[in-house]
Amino acid sequence: MSGPLSFVARRLLLGGAQTVAVVLLVFALTEALPGDAAVALAGDQPDPARIAAIREAMHLDRPAYERLLDWAAGLAHGDFGTSLTSGRPVSTYIEDGFGPTLLLAMITVTLLVPLGVGLGVLAARHEGRPVDRIVSSVTLGVYAVPEFALGVLLVTVFALRLGWLPPTAVGYGTDLLGHPAALVLPVLVLLSRPVCSLARLVRAGMVDALDSPYVAQARRYGIPGARVRYAHALPNAVAPAAQQLARTVDWLLCGVIVVEALFVIPGLGTVLLNAVAERDVPVVQGLAVVFGVLTVLLNLGADLVAHRFAPRAGVAA
Amino acid sequence: MNTPLNTPRDASVDVPDGAAVAEISNLRVEIDGRPLVDGVDLRLLPGRVTALVGASGSGKTTTGLALLGEHPPGARVSGEVRVPGGGPVGYVPQHPAAVLNPARRVGALLYDIARERVRDLPRAARRTEARARVLCALADAQLPQGQALLRRYPHQLSGGQQQRVVLAQALLLGARVVVADEPTTGQDALTKSRIVEELTAVAAQGIAVLLLSHDLDVVRALADEVLVMKEGRVVESGPTERVWLTPRHEWTRELLSRQPQFSGGEEPGGAPTGAPVLHLQDLTARHHRTQVLHIRQLALHAGECLAVVGRSGSGKTTLARCLAGLHRNHDGRVTLDGSSALPRSLRDRDRGQLAAVQYVFQDARAAFDEYRPVVEQVARTAVRLRGAEAPAATAEALAVLAELGLTEEQAHRLPGRLSGGELQRAALARALLARPRVLICDEITSGLDTVTRRALLDVLAGLRRERGELAVVLITHDLDTASLADRIAVLDAGEMVEQGTAARVLSAPSHPFTRRLLAATTR
Repeated sequence: MSGPLSFVARRLLLGGAQTVAVVLLVFALTEALPGDAAVALAGDQPDPARIAAIREAMHLDRPAYERLLDWAAGLAHGDFGTSLTSGRPVSTYIEDGFGPTLLLAMITVTLLVPLGVGLGVLAARHEGRPVDRIVSSVTLGVYAVPEFALGVLLVTVFALRLGWLPPTAVGYGTDLLGHPAALVLPVLVLLSRPVCSLARLVRAGMVDALDSPYVAQARRYGIPGARVRYAHALPNAVAPAAQQLARTVDWLLCGVIVVEALFVIPGLGTVLLNAVAERDVPVVQGLAVVFGVLTVLLNLGADLVAHRFAPRAGVAA
Repeated sequence: MNTPLNTPRDASVDVPDGAAVAEISNLRVEIDGRPLVDGVDLRLLPGRVTALVGASGSGKTTTGLALLGEHPPGARVSGEVRVPGGGPVGYVPQHPAAVLNPARRVGALLYDIARERVRDLPRAARRTEARARVLCALADAQLPQGQALLRRYPHQLSGGQQQRVVLAQALLLGARVVVADEPTTGQDALTKSRIVEELTAVAAQGIAVLLLSHDLDVVRALADEVLVMKEGRVVESGPTERVWLTPRHEWTRELLSRQPQFSGGEEPGGAPTGAPVLHLQDLTARHHRTQVLHIRQLALHAGECLAVVGRSGSGKTTLARCLAGLHRNHDGRVTLDGSSALPRSLRDRDRGQLAAVQYVFQDARAAFDEYRPVVEQVARTAVRLRGAEAPAATAEALAVLAELGLTEEQAHRLPGRLSGGELQRAALARALLARPRVLICDEITSGLDTVTRRALLDVLAGLRRERGELAVVLITHDLDTASLADRIAVLDAGEMVEQGTAARVLSAPSHPFTRRLLAATTR
């Protein structure tokens, strides 16, 4: 095994290669779609002459590799192209949608980590006893409920029946922070399943760690219980949990379409949904690249964390 | 057990250096009515090394852990364990890596222990004092360059360093008693002599050491007092020299008796003749790009036993793995029967070539699937490598297992229900079912107690008598085991420094490294 620095360097290089692959793949997939932007723009009465004219105007008649080079060069400067339907730059779509999505993701993760880890540690401490049984069965049960079902249930109970919270974020635009009540239900729905999976993973890792000879040694030598749990046992449960957390953050940032649609939150998921409905290929492409790069970055981060806490495992790069 | 001082026991007549720092009286530990330890009495004196010796399963570890106040789950314990003065008891387990946290740097637990000990100092002074204590403990545990080690992870330390770090934890704790469980098992002669020095230094600081070991050389070098255990009972105890020179109990005599000679029989020490069954030319093996082994030439004749000796990390196992096709990263020619060159990788070898070279691993338990009966796994070799029918293969497996001393009932057990020595016999049987030309035994006796080891070597000697054509490569760090071979090759740092007949290498070693190895063994 080579040293930690070279691991980081290798992992960064691989991340770069993955990003390039994402860009190529997104382009190839849009090329492979039947029809093109010109067909979509021509509307309900496709007139071949009109389609050809649009193609020429949009330079769609040029060879694929030239268009790829143009698009990729633009991406390198942060230029995602322009929307077909509105003519606005794609980047403005992304900026507008990113705010609400990022806000939801941040609130969710802030609550998710202490809740998930805390529940996991709590269950592991009482392994096999009633507290563990309750935590384990409740997390399994909640995990089995899909977001849309839980969302509908919560809206029905807390918004429609009890009237405590607004059912959707309609009318608040992107200024969600000014209306925290509108965020409660979406965050609850977003939290529900990740908390369960994280808690179960942390519990499994902690059960192993608490049972290990090195924890026995720390206890034997009089290290206080909380310190043994959090400083000596927990780091061994962190590596798998970090990978799971990266997947969750990825899912939160890359458009939680169901939740955004349910609560009418104008985030990236909504932008993507609209773009697909309108066949706005540049916007879809731009979002695909952003999502792809986010996924690469988050997994990169998770691998570095896992490498730190499980230096032996030699995380498959 | 951190029992506070009840009634300080006054020094008895036979104790010259004051009262015992730990005492066990009439200890009995039983699980489901089956006693693990029965009626054990033990007194540990400051600065003295007391050894518990006996075969594995004789209750040494159970007694040692009782001193720490720890018992196996579900155990019923009676008797008394007292640590007058209430000080903590240090523990250095057989596998020190197991008690080092893989996710934390080595320093983490050391600092935590030190912090607990400096609670009463003013807050500002705590950090520097804790640090000083950690470094001091490391130095006491023979790790003078402790500073650099603290930032490393356990897997970045050598086995010896890991052991000394665990020892430092006990010293840092201010333990007046240290329990060392099989500290020398699986170590080569030079490392062993260093561990002996370490523990001597610990005892010299006035700490009582309880040594649990089946390594009789180390016990003799270290211990002041010996307790011989058999099946949970102490059958004999006394000063080391007395027990060695005039053992009173039959079991002690059996434990101490020399190992039997082990040779091919027909032509003892005679120069091997004819074409070699396995020949190796210009072998250079690497791990990634680092060269770890270079051997110009090595030949193995039918019926011959070659011991490959060296310290851990000297390339012994790599050599064996190259022969068996388990290590691909080498260039060099390995020929079988003087004709066909063996492909470098196992995957490219055909059935005949695979069957011809068989490998028996050090850790027999890891080499078996724990969910299938042993006999099925043994029989599988004949099916896979010789195309035998399943019933015939099973019958042959049972016959070979019986030849090696495993009953049919034992053969049908799961691996978990066999002892280490029994499993190692099963592993030998599994290799033999391929009807190999060359049998590679990689440290198959390390980790076994003297009695089991001797029995296994007897089995191996019997095999060689029965199968006159079988060539054996014996990888070992133990010169006693190596002395039973016809020829010995000595490896140091990836180079073969010496090879010759066993008698010549052991009596008139020509290379300084061999001389050092021999000196460390016979001290």
